[in-house]
Order: sequence, then structure tokens, then C-alpha cells
Amino acid sequence: MKISCSEYKKGPALDELISPQGEPHALAQNLCHFFSTLPENELAERVSAVDKAIMTAGITFTVYTEAGNIDRAWPFDVIPRMIDGKEWAHVSQGLKQRLTALNMFITDLYNEQNIVRDGIFPLEVLAESKNFRPACKGVTPPYGVWAHICGTDLVRHADGRFYVLEDNLRVPSGVSYMIENRQLMKRLFPEVFKHYLVQPVDDYTAQLYDTLAALSPRPGTRPVIAVLTPGIFNSAYFEHSYLAQQMGAELVEGKDLIVPDDDCVYMKTIDGLKRVDVIYRRIDDDFLDPEVFREDSVLGVPGLMRAWKSGNVGIANAPGAGVADDKVVYAFVPEIIRYYLSEEPILPNVPSYLCMYEADREYVLANLDKLVVKPANESGGYGMLIGPQSSAEEQQKFARLIRANPRNYMAQPTLSLSTAPTLCDGGIAPRHVDLRPFVLQSKGLYATAGGLTRVALREGSLVVNSSQGGGSKDTWVVEGLL
Amino acid sequence: MLSSVAEKLYWMTRYLERAEDTARLINAVTLMMLDMPRESAFGWSSLLKVAGLDELFYRYHSSADETSVMHFLMQDERNPSSMMACITHARENTRTFREVLPWESWEWVNEMYLYARKELAPVKDRRARYDVLQGIIRRRQSIVGLLAGTMSRDEVFQFLRLGRNIERADMTTRILDVSHAVTFSADTPAGLQYNSMLWMNILKALSAYQMYRRHVSVHAHGIEVVNFLLKDTAFPRAAAHCLGEITEVLDALPAAPQVLSAVRSLRSTIDTAPPDKFTGQVLHSFIDDVQIGLIGIDQQIRKRYFRNHDTPAQEEAATATQ
Repeated sequence: MKISCSEYKKGPALDELISPQGEPHALAQNLCHFFSTLPENELAERVSAVDKAIMTAGITFTVYTEAGNIDRAWPFDVIPRMIDGKEWAHVSQGLKQRLTALNMFITDLYNEQNIVRDGIFPLEVLAESKNFRPACKGVTPPYGVWAHICGTDLVRHADGRFYVLEDNLRVPSGVSYMIENRQLMKRLFPEVFKHYLVQPVDDYTAQLYDTLAALSPRPGTRPVIAVLTPGIFNSAYFEHSYLAQQMGAELVEGKDLIVPDDDCVYMKTIDGLKRVDVIYRRIDDDFLDPEVFREDSVLGVPGLMRAWKSGNVGIANAPGAGVADDKVVYAFVPEIIRYYLSEEPILPNVPSYLCMYEADREYVLANLDKLVVKPANESGGYGMLIGPQSSAEEQQKFARLIRANPRNYMAQPTLSLSTAPTLCDGGIAPRHVDLRPFVLQSKGLYATAGGLTRVALREGSLVVNSSQGGGSKDTWVVEGLL
Repeated sequence: MLSSVAEKLYWMTRYLERAEDTARLINAVTLMMLDMPRESAFGWSSLLKVAGLDELFYRYHSSADETSVMHFLMQDERNPSSMMACITHARENTRTFREVLPWESWEWVNEMYLYARKELAPVKDRRARYDVLQGIIRRRQSIVGLLAGTMSRDEVFQFLRLGRNIERADMTTRILDVSHAVTFSADTPAGLQYNSMLWMNILKALSAYQMYRRHVSVHAHGIEVVNFLLKDTAFPRAAAHCLGEITEVLDALPAAPQVLSAVRSLRSTIDTAPPDKFTGQVLHSFIDDVQIGLIGIDQQIRKRYFRNHDTPAQEEAATATQ
């Protein structure tokens, strides 16, 4: 196995590192030189050192299968993806603009609903939204922020621009892998860094801590912060435990918490009950509080909503924030930005067809073989139809699903996701990538430098989710060459 | 510290201790079988009785031969105290401690698990069995060493120490009870010789033979062995030493007067027991009393540290008693 840029067979899609003529972009020259001059055995050695480091550190995620849950090592590709610092400054502004507007939108939805009254956002979308929580009506959380942690999925299209694919406002995951990927690169390929000024990513946990601490109902004291996990069998348990450890927070499960009659949240410690100020919850709204949401939830904490509405505990993301994390709502985000901020959206949306509108629906049904169809409320790439790669039966099945519940479906043209050189069996080959930066908002506003680059390891595949065979790369926002 | 974390730490270390002690017990009993006269009536079923697992065993088996007893003690998942079950349980718990234990712990416990998975199953002959069990003991000791050498003496460490010493005291008393399972006349010269051999093997099962010889006697006399294994404060597997460790742990944790008084009461039962309690049937019922005392301590620990939170008022109550 040897990496050679001259033998790299660039595909038809835009490539992150290699020009259409097959030459490395200016930024990527040193990187390509390094990899193409690395002796074959040394590359193999370092790749196996990476695998070993991942196993040793226990960087894993769980895949749910019919045969049971499998704990898999995190698949990591050693060739970093690069983004120019100036381009990133622009994207970063766009991400912050988007989250700011989305939070204003959520506050409005749970209060006056001016955006509905002004005819920008249709009432019927709101009425049928699964993630609208009537229990949150009348609430305005601190700073008017509901989604404190947002994972925004971006893809680079053939025109070279980043497009927003999704806003993940419920419990986005992946940030721990972003940080670990950089640690792995620094440890195992330190030489590559000497030519580049790369923006660091590991201040994320300190930023997250500040974001959460600002939500404490008891300012002035060091807040007690807890990361609420569904437990060891959740696919992102590694991340929950990682973030708790990095922030010096407690990692708790629902059964560790209790809300007595005083409407405060306490955790059960060896010395009795201890008040909790802020909860970074990594479980869905549905399971959060059996008093308000699903009664059969054993993952949640009875009374949590009482405590939150009384202002006795900060919850991130706030219950009900998911109302704006909906693939139909997504289509309205450019309008939402214009409405609340009187600004033009910095980052473009992917054109979307909403099946609730008859004209759009007819177009989608007639073009199922060309479009990507997504259900409004699924995550992890489940329940999607990728038109060009689907069979006639699958298309018929989706036609039935769409007709039965049009509000629940939207469709987008299949974008030509950009590729990046990736180490595969027998050498280096183009694989499709996306990018998930993480954006934080409470008292301040912050976006990660780059984010988590996910890569579809199968040739030609556009599915990057780790639960479906995706891998990841270290992502470099390059400020300059050294 | 979260009660649930403390409880899992306590059980993780109890399970690891149990796996190691079971390995020691099997090795010692195997050697002892070679020394014992046929009429001693000590068989594999006695080993089950000592381990407190005879009832569970006969639920699945009609008779206790070497193969089925070994399988049951070493790898049968239906036996929650089998070595494999203990190690699996400890491994699952360790995964959840990433943020409180040194990062290598998971790796080491996982390695022990993989070793047990691979090696415990195909053991056929006694010689190979001895080596595999030594392999388990060595791995467990490495983990204890890792934790002792890299952890702050914080609450996390104290709960590990607590579980280890409760389990160890329990196992020491169980192994002492082996003597009760063996019956032969002590009046004859041959009987005397076997008796001495029996006590020597009991010491060996607890890795106590060498220390006993150094500090007590070169001869293994019943009463002196019992005295050493129950009352000695310097030997780490002696019951009195384990109780001393537990007392130190309790001093380092949030005040627990009821646990402490249960420990003191058991300690005084042991310290004040006259030597005539230490033979035959009397010893057997004395050991029962000690085990009941240990169960009592375990219950008080749960009540104080793991289940102490019905209402916030208890927070005040707990502090008030300090």
C-alpha cells in the first residue's frame, strides 16, 4: 500500500484536495508530498498504530443489529481534509447566523407565533409537527436560547459552495470523534503539521462548559453540571462519558436523579442528595420526563419538566427545541433568517420539495428515481430513499408512504457530494464526504474550527453515517502555510 | 460521588476478588485431593459446599464429578459466581468508569476477560488448569497493582478497597470451613498427619502458608491456623486485617456510624473468641456467625451509601450525624 497522488483516480465529483487536472490544490501540496514520499512499510505501520490507539483508548460506537449490539472501533482515515481559513470564516458566520435565527424562531413558536400570523410559516406544518411540545408553551428559557448545541450537516456541491443539509438540534453527536481524530493525527503524523498553521479544535469542551455553566439558576457558585445519558447501550455512550470526563461533569442516568416536591433536581450521591444546576441531556424529549412525555420511559426523570419550567435547572438542549429540527421546517429556514434578522442567509439551503404541497408532491412522485426522499423526523440516515440507487419496489413503497402521510416527507435533488482522497484497500481513492460543525449558543456564540468530516467508505456511496458504514477524517481549517 | 457509581465500583471489585479467590481455592483443593486418604470423605461436592454453591449446582446436575464441578465453578454462566461470570460482570462495569478510573484499567480488565474467554473453556487436565488459574490470579494482581500505584486515595479508591476487603474476609472464612467438610479421626498417628496436611492446604489456598510459617510456626496446627486467619491484623487475607481496612475506608468516606458499629461488633466477636471455639462443629457455627456479621456490614453499607436518598431532608440528616 503506497499513496501516490499521480495514481489517484479522481472521480467526476469535485475533490477537496485534488484539482480537476489531477494536481493537488495549493493547500494540499505539502500534504500530498508527505504521503507520496512515505515509505510503504512505514505507512502500514502508522496505520496499524492508529488502529491500535483507537482500540486502546476504547474509541467505539455501538451498532444496533438484529443479532445484538456490536461495539465497533471508530473507523478513521488518516488523510486529513483541508479547508481554507478564509472560506471557513465565512461559513462560521453563516452557522452562527442560522442558529441565532432558529432559536428566535423556537421562542416565537412557543409564545406569540408572530411568524405564523405574518404568513411566513404555515400553521398546518406547526399543527402536524411531531416535535412541537405543547408542554413548552409560554416558556422563554435564559437568553431566549433553546438549542444550545447544534450539529449542522454541510456538503460541498459541484459549484464549490457549502450547502446546509440538516440542522441537528436535538441530541447531535460526533464532537468527541472530532477531538479524538485530531489527537490521533498529532500523535501519529506529527511531521505533516509542521508545514501548516491549523486551527485547534480541542477548546470545544471548555466552550461547551461555559455554554452550559451560563444556564445555571444559581449564578455566583460553581455550577453542578450533569451529562444525562441513556446508558452504556446507547451508540454514543463513548461520547457521553468522554464529554463528562473532559468537563469534570457528572455522568448520570435517569435513575441517578430525583425531583422532589421543591421542584429542584438532585442527584443521588453517597452522602445523600446533591442539587444539580445544569443538565446536558443526551436523551430525546420523548423519554425525558414520564410525568409529561412518554409514561413508560425508564430513561428519564419524573418531574424534570416541572423543575425546568420553574427555572430551577438549566436543560440543554431545552425540551421542545426539536421543533426546528425537522426536515420540513428546514425548507423554511432561509425565510426564517430573513424574518427574524432582516439579513440574507449566508449559507444556502439545498432546494427542497415539500410533499405537503400538491405541486411539489406530484413532482416528487414523478421523479423518485432522481431525488433523495427523507422522512421529517428520522435521524441517523434511517428511513431514507436515495433515488438513483433504489429499486423499483423501493420507489413504489415510498410512493405509498408519501401519499399516506405527505406532511412527513420532503425530497431534495441528489447532490454531488464532494470527494476526498481516502485510504482504501489497494491504495488511495476518492470517497464522498460531508462535514458536521458544532455550534454553541447561550450567553455567547461559538462554532468549531471545521468539525467532524464523515466519509462514505464504500465506493460511490453517499451515506456517511457511522451506523451505516461511514468513517471519519481529521478536518483542518488552515490559517496559513509555514 | 454518585451512589450508582459507588455501588458499581464496590461490586466490580467484589467480583474480581471472587474470581481470583475461586482460582486460588480450586488450585489448593486440587492439590489437597492428592494428599488426602480415601476415607476422608472430602470430595468435589465439599468444594461446592465451601463455595456456598451446592444448592445451585444440584439444580442443574445430579452428581458432582470433577469435570462438572470445574465447569460450574470456572465458566458456567448459570452460576453468577463462576469465574467467567464474575470477570464478565467486572468488565461490563469497568466500561462505565471511564471518567473515574485510570484509563488503562479498562484495557487490563478487558485483557483479563479475553484471556479467560480463550483459556478457561478448553481446560481438560489438572496441569493445564493450574497454569490457567495462575494466569487469572496474576492478571487480577496486576490490576490491583495498577490501581494502587496510579489512583489518588479518593472516594473511588475507597469503594474499591471496601468491596475487596468484604469479599476477601468472606472467602477466607469460607475456605476455613473446608476443615469442617473433612472428617477423619484425629486420635491415630495417621489422622494427626492428615490433619496437619489439611491445615497446611488451607493456608496454601489463601497464599498464607509462607507468612504463617514465618510469623507463627512451621507446624500447621488447627487452632493456630484458625487463630492466624481470623485474628491476625498483619496478614492481608486474615479477617481481622480486612475489618481493619474497612474501618480505615469508613474513616475516609462520609460518616457512617451504623456501618462502623457493625464492623466493630464483628471485630470484637472475632478478637474475643476463645481458642476452644476454633475446632470442629463449634468452629463451623462460629464461622456462620462471622459470615452473618459480614452480611450485616454489607447491608449497612448499602443503606448508608447506595440507598440514602428518599428526600432532600436526608442530606441534612446525614450531615447532622457527622
